[in-house]
Parts: sequence; structure tokens; C-alpha cells
Amino acid sequence: MVSIKASVMVITLLTVCLLATNASPGCCRNYMKTKIPFLKIKGYSVQTVTGLCPISAIIFHTKKGKACTDPALNWVMYYVDRLRNKAQMVHMKSTQAGI
Amino acid sequence: MDSLEDVSNQSYLDNNDTDFDYDLVPPCAQQNNHSVQLVVGPYVHSIICILGLVGNSLVIVTYALYKRTKSMTDVYLLNVAVADLLFVASLPLIVYNELTAWSMGPVVCKLLRGSYSVNLYSGTLLLACISSDRYVAIVQARRSFRLRSLTYSRLICAAVWVLAVLLSVPSFYFYSLYQPTHSRDFFMDEEDGNSTDSTEYVCELRFMDSTEALTSKVALPSMQLAVGFFLPLLVMVFCYSAIVGTLLKARNFQRHKAVRVVLAVVAVFVVCHLPYNLTLLYDTTSMFNLQSCEDVDFLKTAKTVTQTLAYLHCCLNPVLYAFVGVKFRNHFQRIVQDLWCLGKRYIRPRRFSRVTSEIYVSTRRSVSSENGSSFTM
Repeated sequence: MVSIKASVMVITLLTVCLLATNASPGCCRNYMKTKIPFLKIKGYSVQTVTGLCPISAIIFHTKKGKACTDPALNWVMYYVDRLRNKAQMVHMKSTQAGI
Repeated sequence: MDSLEDVSNQSYLDNNDTDFDYDLVPPCAQQNNHSVQLVVGPYVHSIICILGLVGNSLVIVTYALYKRTKSMTDVYLLNVAVADLLFVASLPLIVYNELTAWSMGPVVCKLLRGSYSVNLYSGTLLLACISSDRYVAIVQARRSFRLRSLTYSRLICAAVWVLAVLLSVPSFYFYSLYQPTHSRDFFMDEEDGNSTDSTEYVCELRFMDSTEALTSKVALPSMQLAVGFFLPLLVMVFCYSAIVGTLLKARNFQRHKAVRVVLAVVAVFVVCHLPYNLTLLYDTTSMFNLQSCEDVDFLKTAKTVTQTLAYLHCCLNPVLYAFVGVKFRNHFQRIVQDLWCLGKRYIRPRRFSRVTSEIYVSTRRSVSSENGSSFTM
């Protein structure tokens, strides 16, 4: 009886642990067909083929969620540059404030 | 520069916060696959692990204690049991680490992925060796005295293990523990800046540059398909069909049982490994195509399920190869009875001592009588 109780405990614990862990972030397997308005974008991340994903992509983070875009497209890289500039400005402002 | 103006125009138009209607194409979350993994991961794998541990340890213990490896087949069977045992022993570690974002560290990641590959190759290649050994013993019976010797089979087994390790060098080399870049945010709005950096570690293939990545992502599964499945399958189909042909011509009252065993061995191999390898083949050929998340999820789920089916083969090998043999079963029975007697001796001494020796009136019935051990039913 003790062993049954113990195994039930272990299984419940395992299940709880399992449900608590998030799945590892999935890969982009397709691209947006349309442009996203720039002001909706809060940030971005980069998916490369050198990792576990089979295609490369730029993932824009919007209020609605993440959007996979094709890095071969001009507007995508233009957005990335603008985001970089924006980040640079934030950095400069914060260092000035620090001084 | 038309496109750039286009872009800025659009962003100006969208300056007021009206809800611009756009359908996002998000990264694939793999919900179904994840829920299947939740069940398969801990529960089904622990059943496979327990069955595999019990079955393969029984084979190894029987050989170690009672049946000194006398024939070529014995050497192969022992090696298959060792490969399967190593695999099922590493299975709970793999499951545990996959569930806890590889908490045991980078060395364990490399070792587990590498040893998985070694066992995958050695397991199926050894089964191919067993089929060719039986082929030599039954179909090429005249040559078999020259070709079948203990040193010969030990050399072949050593060669198989070396080959399996060599084929697994890319796995040892390329698998590593890292945080995938696509889940790391490069810039977030300062307003909700507390974006938690909860990126999980993964133990996956990682390459230096993209050309290396693209070739290896095709080459590694292709090698696994070719050497780990199709080569052994071809060898087994060729050898066993020749064996069945010879058995059907022979006038032996045991031949039907032998044919049944041969068919079972091939059928179980095909049923366990073919679905996974077909899924892997499809996955490898369609990997770089653009796909919808539903298709990706379906394929990943299929891979998880069929891989578990392939794992099941490790538990069935002891039954299909060792326990079908009458001689092996006799040795095994002797272990059980000795253990039984050992237990009884403490309670009622000297009662069962006579029974053990009487049961071992040999019930050996050999199909290929000259070459004995290879196909004892």
C-alpha cells in the first residue's frame, strides 16, 4: 500500500512539474505575406539556421504576438535597422542620464 | 529606394492607434506534440525502460552465470542485449533532461545524444549481423565451419561497435547545450521593459556557419536512414528470405516453427522501425520548405509517436532472439529454479534438490542439426 501511495505521489509530482515547464520556443516555419505597421513593433529576435531551426527568420514582437518575417525582404531589414537606431537612442539617453 | 518610402508612408498612416488588421504568422508552438510528449515522455518511456531493463538484464545474467558464450550467435545476442540495455538505461536520463531544460549540464547533453546514436547504430547493425550469421549457418551450411568461429564473431562485434562510434562522432561533436537565439529578444519597448529572459536551454545540433548547418542537417539524418535502417533492413530481408527458402525445402518437423520465428523477427523490425524512418525521411526532405504550423505540429507529433514505437524494439529483442531458443530458455529456467531453491533452502532445506536435475532431460531440437546453436528453437 505504501508503494502504491508513493508511486501515485511521484506520478502527480512529475505531472505537475511537466505542466509547469513551458515548451521550448518554436521555430518560424513560414513568413508573413504582408507588412506589419512599424509602430506596432516592440522588439525583434533573430532565428538562424545554425541552431535547431531549419529556416532563418526575423521575428518581430508586436502587441498581438510574434510575427515571422523573411530576412531576404527589404522592408524587414529596414525595420531591423530602425529598431537598432531606436535602441541606440535609448542607450545614449540612459548613459547621459547616468552622468 | 521606393520600398523605403513605402514603408515610412505606411508607418505614418498608421500613426494613430487604430487597429490595423493584420494576420500574424507566429512561430510554431507545437501544442499537440507537446501534449503527446507529456504522456509519452514519463509514462510510456518508463514502461519501455522497465521492460527493457528486465528483459535485457535477464539475457546478460543468463549468459554471465549459466551459459558461457559458446557459439557465434551467443556473442551477437549478448552484444545486442548490452546495446539495448545501455539504451534503455539512458532513456530516463534523456527524458528527465528534456523535461528540466537539460539541468545536468553540457557534458551530459553531449554524452546522452552521442550514446543514443551509438546504440541506435550498433543495435540495428548487430541484428543484421545475426541474420547474416544465420544465413551462413543454414543456407551456406558447408562453408559455415570455416566462417563461423568465436574469434571471428568477436571481431565482427568489435568492428560494429567501432563503426557505430565513428558514425556517432558528428553527434558527439555538433550536439551542444545552448539558448536558441530566436527566443532571445534584441530590443523591447522601454514601457514594458521587464521582459523576463526565461529562455530555456536546449540540447540540439549547433553549427558554426550556415552552409555547414544546411549540409549537416541533411547529411546526419540521411546517414541514420541509410546505415541505421535501410542497410540492416536489406541485409535482413535478403538473409531471411534465403533462410525461409532453405527451410521450406528441408524435411524437418520443426521447420514451420523456424519460419514463423523468422517472419516474426522481420515483421517486428519493420513494424517498429519503418514508421519512424519514413517520418524521418519525409521530415528530412521537406525540412527547408515553408510549412503551416498545423503541418509542422502533425509531423512532430508523428515523429514523437513513431520514435517511441522504435524504442519498443529494445524490449522485444530479448523475446525475439534469446527466449525463443530452447537452450536459452533451459538455462534461464535453471536460474529461476536455482534462485527458487536458494530461497527455499532457508525455510525447508533439501527438498527440491532432486527436481532440478530431472527437469533437464534435454529437450533440444535443432533445425540445422550440424550447426546446432544458431537456430535452436
